[in-house]
Amino acid sequence: MSRTSGLAAVALAALLTTAACAKSEDSGDTPTPAGSAGQQVVQSAGATGPTCTLQSFGGQKFDLKKDVIGFSQSEKEANPFRIAETKSIKDEAAKLGIANLRVTNAQSQFSKQISDVQQLIAQGAKLLVIAPLNSDGWEPVLKQAAEKKIPIITIDRKINAQPCTDYLTFIGSDFYEQGKRAADQMVQALGGQGEVAILLGAPGNNVTTDRTKGFKDRIQEKAPGITISFEQTGEFTREKGQQVTEQLIQSRPGTKGIYAENDEMALGAVTALKGAGKSPGQVKIVSVDGTRAAAQGIVDGWLSAVVESNPRFGPLAFSTTQKFLDGEGIPATVIISDQEYTAANAKESLGNAY
Amino acid sequence: MTTTTTTAADADPGTDARCGPGMSRRERIGHLLQHHGALMVLAVTVVVGALVFDSFATPQNAANIVVSSSFLAIVAIGMTFVIISGGVDLSVGSSFVLAGVLAAYGSRYGLLVALLLPLSVCGAIGLVQGLIVARTGMAPFIVTLAGLLGMRGLMLAVSDEGANTYLVQNDAFSALGQASFLGLTVPVWITLGLALLGGVLLQRTGFGQNVYAIGGSEEAAVLMGVPVTRVKVLVYLISGLLAGLAGALNAARLSSGVTILGAGMELDVIAAVVIGGTLLTGGSGGLIGTMAGVLLLGVIQSLINQIGVLTSSFQQVVSGAFLALVVVAQRILHRAQRLS
Repeated sequence: MSRTSGLAAVALAALLTTAACAKSEDSGDTPTPAGSAGQQVVQSAGATGPTCTLQSFGGQKFDLKKDVIGFSQSEKEANPFRIAETKSIKDEAAKLGIANLRVTNAQSQFSKQISDVQQLIAQGAKLLVIAPLNSDGWEPVLKQAAEKKIPIITIDRKINAQPCTDYLTFIGSDFYEQGKRAADQMVQALGGQGEVAILLGAPGNNVTTDRTKGFKDRIQEKAPGITISFEQTGEFTREKGQQVTEQLIQSRPGTKGIYAENDEMALGAVTALKGAGKSPGQVKIVSVDGTRAAAQGIVDGWLSAVVESNPRFGPLAFSTTQKFLDGEGIPATVIISDQEYTAANAKESLGNAY
Repeated sequence: MTTTTTTAADADPGTDARCGPGMSRRERIGHLLQHHGALMVLAVTVVVGALVFDSFATPQNAANIVVSSSFLAIVAIGMTFVIISGGVDLSVGSSFVLAGVLAAYGSRYGLLVALLLPLSVCGAIGLVQGLIVARTGMAPFIVTLAGLLGMRGLMLAVSDEGANTYLVQNDAFSALGQASFLGLTVPVWITLGLALLGGVLLQRTGFGQNVYAIGGSEEAAVLMGVPVTRVKVLVYLISGLLAGLAGALNAARLSSGVTILGAGMELDVIAAVVIGGTLLTGGSGGLIGTMAGVLLLGVIQSLINQIGVLTSSFQQVVSGAFLALVVVAQRILHRAQRLS
C-alpha cells in the first residue's frame, strides 16, 4: 500500500488536471416578471465615506449580461428570508438578461461556502455576490479574488476585510437600527412598563449582536420601567424559539413582552403561547424580518409589530454593479431602508411581506 | 499500476486469507470492486465531468478540490483506523472546530503554541475516549457522542458562545495553511505524507495487523494475544490528534478560529471512509479507498456547482445515493465471497 498510495495520488492529480474539450452550460431560466412590491430602497449611500471606482479598485470592465456571475447563498433555504433573497437575485438576473448566473448554496456549512466561492472563481466568475455565513475566515477566497481583481459584493452580512481592496461593497440593513426600532415598538406596546424576554439569534455574527445591542440601548434610554429579565438563544429557528418560550412561560410567568430577533422564533413563541392557553395579545411580541406569516400574525393579533429586514437584494446588487462598471464611485456600505409592519398597516401591506 | 500488486499490497491480513495468487477470477473481481470501487468511480466521474464541463478540469478547480478536501482527508485517515478496529469516532467534527479556535487563540504566543495547544487538547480527549472504550467496553458510539457534545461546549466556552472569533496573529502559522509548494498548499502535502505514513502503519506493522485483527473478531484477537486495550486506545488517540491537526491547519488557512465549522463533519468523514470500501463493521478496508472517498465527495460538490441548474441539495442526494450503493454492493460482495 505504501508504494501504491503514492502512485495513486499522482494518478489522481493527473486525472483531476486533465483538460478536455467540452460544451458550456446555459441556464435556461425564463424571465419572470418581478413586481416592484417591497423593493429595496437605499437609505444612506454613505455620502461621507470614500467611494470606490473601477479605476481605484483596479478591475477590468466586464459584461454583466454575458460573463459568468456567481452568487453564493449561505444558509439552507429553509426560512423565508433566504428563499426570498435567492429568488430576488435569480429573478433580477432573468429580468436583466444575465445569461450566466451560477448559484451555489453552502447549506449552512462554512467550509462548503469557501469552496463554493472558489469554484465560482474557477468557473471564471467576473462578479461575486456573497451572502456570507460568517464574517471572518474569508482569507482564501479574498486572496484568489484579489489575484484576478474580481469585485465582491457582500449582502445581508458583512465580511471583516478592507472595502475597495478585498471587496467592493456591503449592501444590507442597519441591524442596530432594527433593534432600536423594535425597542420603540415594544415600549409602545407595553406602555413603557413590564418584564421583557429576548429570543436571541444564532451566536457568532453581527446580526444577533447588533439587534440585541440596539434593542437594549433604546430600552435603557427610553423606558427605564421595562426590565429585560430573560435572554436565551433560539438560533433563528422556529423550533428553538418555541422551546425557549415554553421554558420562559414556566420560569417567568410575569413576562409581558417578547422580543424575537427574527420572525421564525416569534412564530415559535406564538405556538408556545397557544399551547399554554394564552390569548392573542396577552403577551406582546415584537420581531424583525417581515415574513408573510409574521405579518399575518399581526393581523391575527398575536404579534404587535414587525420591523422589516428586506431580503430582496437582486435589483440593488446588480444596479450597483452596473454603476461600478459605468465608472461611478461606490460607497463602502450601502444601507437599505426597511419598512415596519404594525396593526395599522399589516393588512394592506401583506403583499409586500415575503 | 497493475491490479495484482495493488491487490496484494492492499489486502487486509485480518479476514481475506484467501486472496492471493490462488484466487478465482470472480473472487478477484469482487475483491477489486470492494477495495478499489471508489477509486474507479472517482476516475469515471472525473473523466465524465471533464468531458461535459469545460471549467471543471482546470488546474485551478482541481487545486480547489484537492485543497478543500485535504482537511476532511486528514480527519478521515484517523477515522479509517477507528472504523477498521470496529469502532467509530463521532467526536471528530467537534475536535476539528475546537482545535481551530484553540490554534487561532494560541497563535499570538507563537507557532509552537498554535500547534501544540490544539494537538494536546484533542489528543488528550482522544486518549480519554480510547481508555473509556477499551477499559469499560462501553459502545464507542456513546462515548464519542459524549465527546462530540462536550467538545462543542468547550469550544463555545472559550469563544464566548461562538461570538468571539480569534484571528491568527502569526505569519509562520498562517503560512502553514496558505503557502504553496509545487502548486499545492502545505495541507495537501501534509495529507499525502500522512496517508503514506498511515498506509505503512496499517499494512506493514504489527500495530496495523492488530487493528485489523480486533476489527475482524475481538475475541479471536484476545485469544491470539493481541494487546487489545493498547491498540484501541491508540486508534482513538490517532483519530483525536489528526482531527486536531486538521482543525489547526484549517484555522491557519482561514486566518481565524471560525466557530461555526465542523457541525455534521463526522458524518461526512464516516461517509467518505465507507464509500472508500472500509466495512463499518470493522476488520476490512484501507486508506487508498478513504482518500478516493474524500475526493469523490469533493468532486460531486464541484460537479453539482458546475451544473448550476441543480440546487446544492442535490449534492447530498447524490452523496447519499453513492453511500447507499456502496453499502449494498459491499453486502452482496461479502456474501458472494463467503459462499464461494
